[in-house]
Amino acid sequence: MREMVVSELSRALRDIAQGAARFLPRLVVMLLIALAGWLIAYLLKVVVRSLLLWTKFDRFSENTGTSQLLKRAALPAPSELLGRLVFWIVWLGFVVLGVSVLGIVGLQDYVAHFFLFLPRLLVALFIGFFGLLAATFFSRAVLLAAVNAELPSPRLLSISTRTVIIIFVLSMVFEDLGVAEHTMLVGFGIAFGAIMLALAIAFGIGGKDLARHFLEKKLVHGEKDEREDELSPL
Amino acid sequence: MQTWGENPLPLKQEPLWYKDAIIYQVHVRTFYDSNGDGIGDFQGLAQRLDYLQDLGVNAIWLMPFFPSPLRDDGYDIADYRSVHSAYGTLEDFRTFLATAHQRGIRVIIEMVLNHTSDQHPWFRESRSSRENPRRDWYVWSDTDSRYKGVRIIFLDTEMSNWAWDPVSKAYYWHRFFSHQPDLNYDNPAVRDEMWDIMKFWLDMGVDGFRLDAVPYLVEREGTNCENLPETHEIIKELRRKLDEQYPACVLLAEANQWPADLRQYYGDGDEFHMAFSFPLMPRMFMALKLEDRKPVTEILQQTPEIPTSCQWCLFLRNHDELTLEMVTDVERDYMYDTYAQDKTMRLNLGIRRRLAPLLDNDRRRIELMNGMLLSLPGTPIIYYGDEIGMGDNTNLGDRNGVRTPMQWNGGWNGGFSAADPESLYAPPIQNPVYGYAAVNVLSQKRSEHSLLSWMQRIVKVRRSTRVFGNGSIEFLYPANHRVLAYVRQLGGETVLVVNNLSNSAQAVELDLQRYKGNILIEMFGKNIFPRVGEQPYIMTMGPYQFFWFRLRRI
Amino acid sequence: MSTEASTREPPSQPRTEGNSAEASFLTDDFLRQVMNVGEVDILVGLPTHNNAKTVGPIVEAVRAGILKWFPRERAVIINADGGSRDGTPDIVTGASIDDVRRGSKLYALRTLHAISTKYGRTPEAGTALRTILSAAELMRAKACVVVSPESTTVQPDWIQRLLRPVYNEHFDLVTPVYRRHMFEGLLMSNLLYPMMRAIYGVKVREPYASEFAFSGRLAGELVGRSIWSEESVRTSAEMSFTLAAITGGFRIHQVFLGDKSHTEHRASDLVAAIRRTVGTLFWTMGKNPADWMSAAGLQPLSTEGPEYELRVDPVRVNRKRLWQLFSAAVTDLEAVLRSVLSAATLSELQRIAKLEEDDFRYPADLWAQTVYEFADSYHKSVIDRDHILQALAPLFRGRIFTFLIENCNGTSAEEVENSVEALCFEFEKLKPYLVEMWRREVRIS
Repeated sequence: MREMVVSELSRALRDIAQGAARFLPRLVVMLLIALAGWLIAYLLKVVVRSLLLWTKFDRFSENTGTSQLLKRAALPAPSELLGRLVFWIVWLGFVVLGVSVLGIVGLQDYVAHFFLFLPRLLVALFIGFFGLLAATFFSRAVLLAAVNAELPSPRLLSISTRTVIIIFVLSMVFEDLGVAEHTMLVGFGIAFGAIMLALAIAFGIGGKDLARHFLEKKLVHGEKDEREDELSPL
Repeated sequence: MQTWGENPLPLKQEPLWYKDAIIYQVHVRTFYDSNGDGIGDFQGLAQRLDYLQDLGVNAIWLMPFFPSPLRDDGYDIADYRSVHSAYGTLEDFRTFLATAHQRGIRVIIEMVLNHTSDQHPWFRESRSSRENPRRDWYVWSDTDSRYKGVRIIFLDTEMSNWAWDPVSKAYYWHRFFSHQPDLNYDNPAVRDEMWDIMKFWLDMGVDGFRLDAVPYLVEREGTNCENLPETHEIIKELRRKLDEQYPACVLLAEANQWPADLRQYYGDGDEFHMAFSFPLMPRMFMALKLEDRKPVTEILQQTPEIPTSCQWCLFLRNHDELTLEMVTDVERDYMYDTYAQDKTMRLNLGIRRRLAPLLDNDRRRIELMNGMLLSLPGTPIIYYGDEIGMGDNTNLGDRNGVRTPMQWNGGWNGGFSAADPESLYAPPIQNPVYGYAAVNVLSQKRSEHSLLSWMQRIVKVRRSTRVFGNGSIEFLYPANHRVLAYVRQLGGETVLVVNNLSNSAQAVELDLQRYKGNILIEMFGKNIFPRVGEQPYIMTMGPYQFFWFRLRRI
Repeated sequence: MSTEASTREPPSQPRTEGNSAEASFLTDDFLRQVMNVGEVDILVGLPTHNNAKTVGPIVEAVRAGILKWFPRERAVIINADGGSRDGTPDIVTGASIDDVRRGSKLYALRTLHAISTKYGRTPEAGTALRTILSAAELMRAKACVVVSPESTTVQPDWIQRLLRPVYNEHFDLVTPVYRRHMFEGLLMSNLLYPMMRAIYGVKVREPYASEFAFSGRLAGELVGRSIWSEESVRTSAEMSFTLAAITGGFRIHQVFLGDKSHTEHRASDLVAAIRRTVGTLFWTMGKNPADWMSAAGLQPLSTEGPEYELRVDPVRVNRKRLWQLFSAAVTDLEAVLRSVLSAATLSELQRIAKLEEDDFRYPADLWAQTVYEFADSYHKSVIDRDHILQALAPLFRGRIFTFLIENCNGTSAEEVENSVEALCFEFEKLKPYLVEMWRREVRIS
């Protein structure tokens, strides 16, 4: 019995050693790939950041309000952020490639999935970025328009606009990423519909006088306020 | 029946000859002095007829040559049946007349119906006493308050239309100078006598009369004493007699009136044969300065149709001032400011300058104006000396500045007379630009490119077709208002005339749709221009350039 | 009549758009019409878009003015139309006097042309003006005048008052002075006039005028510039015109005309008005800062007639509403204002926004500071530029409230003018602050 155990143990050890001998070179290769990837990713990061600085990308995003957004989220400047993003994506790509070299069964599939997933990730980031921009821009536009048109609760309108756009953008992002697609869709539908219903009720019932007054002012030009003279600004 | 002196008349007896005429206006005194007394005469004029024949004119209008104290350049007549001794004798006149006819040139003379000189025997008799048989031959009044409000024509010299006669102690009526008393046409004796005088000259062989100052023949209280119906009756009577006895002779009216009033002098073809187109003339000059055809087209739009046997007489300049009576105040001021900045040039609501000085001696403008003169509807009249571009002398009083001696050559007195220069009736022009050394017939005859040679050519082209004198006119109104374009038509013949009134090159689009398919043949060089198609006909023209095109469908 | 000339020489502007660009901008048909009219002495520009109700009497007044005061001059009326559907162009071209229209009872020494063209696809004041300028250059017009198709108070006399200084005295730009109610045109008197006066050193009373005259020289200069693709210029060429004349060293003159036409306006038009005027001003400042930074002192501007004339008849204005709008806006727009204004200015605005109506005052110096900071923010595009302009509107209302309080019914014209002068003084005093801000690369909030 003792000899059986020893021989089994030896065989097991031999198997492990063989396995290790087969595995270690692949590990080295993987590490080498990861290192090379790190270098390349770093180079690309520098290139991208320089390019963005040269095209004054930061200025552009300041105009659109993105810089302020990022600042509030304690994120670095857009060009820096993008550079880092590029770095991480490229390096992760190389790492995953290196992992595939290890030859671990099952991992190959995940690697393939990862590379298939990358474009969608990029698209999602893209949608998210510009979606945030749009949310900022339009909410500000609505705010200013409401203030100048003397509408009630301009800030509420502005926040509502921003919220709606963000919800919309998030739904698109999640749908694109394939994360809880149906949940998000349904959830968005419910939320959006609820908001609209609430507004309708509020406006229609609670503010019907206001609505009438507003519509009259906008559509019926006939009666002017006789108690006041019109003054032209120019 | 008229006779033509000793030689049979080579001219055909065409009743409408005046429609194809090109008339040369001349004063015998200014043309050529044959006897060295410093004054032109009929013998001299006769000697120079070959020049006129070469020029291409076929009629002469003679300024008054009757005996006269010459206080109004002969328009103050002292004897209607004779010739002023300075110009020759009646026989000289007959000879001249015959010679002219031999060369195919007709002769129109002046007949001043409205008034005589106060030196005329009739007036001397009339003023001698109230009982004199000729008392009633003039218009007398004990006061000067009759015919109030009637305008004075010679504004620069006369203060009133009445003049006090110390001899007969009464006022007499005069529409012109005070030494030109008006005849009384209410008196049949006056009418009979004037016809008799006209017969005298018609029998001698003259081809017609320019009747001076016709609008003023008759006066009536409460009117402006112009263009009265009675005046027209007198003219109709004269015309009737003329047609009966001298059918190929013409009456030419001098009536400085607006087109509507002027029209009346044609009657129904039973008054004047021709009348001067006074309203058009200043507007041609105006259009040129404005570089805008509007003044010309508008006056012609306002000009009424005349009977087919009648004819307008067109002219650029004449012996009088360029009259600005028949223009608006705005137009008159414009003409004064642009053509007569020097106030000495202005006289009696007009400008007393010759053609060349008015146009700054610009050859192109002189050609353009003559081109319009010879292509607009009517019979053109060329004032003596304008065919060589003579200048004027505004230092001579009244209108004498445009009546200086004809310039024949660069020699003694410009070839006008062998007399001492000091004895000439008026000094010739001597400045370096217009003087006889620079501007004369002889030197211009030697050059193919002189103004005189050009005038001969254009007269020849004009005479090559009857369309200019007899044809209809239709204005084209191209959008470019600097271009005056019109179509003349007679029977199957069509001529297109295009004038660039501007100092700069112009592009113009003409709507010639009606003449689609016609080829344009330029009448001077006889070159072919493109055929008229569907599209507007585009033409480009140099400064002051004009074209005459014959349209032919081939 | 004084004949002040600007001390600055007009800088030579390189023509960045060649002749081919101008020619292709005008339609073939219009070019043909221009060719037929030829060279002119006087050009009257009439930009229109569906103005059939008002343009008839205006055209007649223009025509009467030309016939009376410029009967000998070659004249043309150019109608630049934005695509009217109510027959406006026909009304304008019907005013021509020529030998074809024999129905015209009017007498004229020479042809008076009236031609029309449709420019572009959408009606834009700037493009209309560009059409007129191009035509003026091609026709070598000596003197041009632009008349608004809505100015129902235009008199024939205005034509000669505007044109004569250009035609006879060789000024390049003649701007009007109107008789206005003291509370009309407050954007002009409380912002544009003081600011332009302060930064450019020129006292142009009506930089955004409905009627103005200019020389062919100025027209040719502006037509060749590459500013016409810019949005603000296309929508509001009048301001650009005035600014170009001021910065280009051209000779400017002012002339008193008469009453300004009252056009229908609503409160919402304030933002549009700000875009057209203030927007163009800010943009121009940014394009050529050297023009205004170096301007020092106030240059005299020759004026014919009174420099101002104000009607002081009482009007009813809802002042309370103005104050309410201001106060609400300062709160609601805090995020926006924080990007645009400095901390000090914003906190001061927030302080006065909390005041009761009776205590509320928007002092002149604070207003000047506000406007200057807006200008600087616009220049640096801290946020979308149009949003910056929109944010100015409610603040302007607050300023108007104060102006109305200070010059309430019963004040004399002179007193009103004095308060405008006081405002001008504040703007002038703060100019160095603006210059310093401008020179900093980044906005320090």
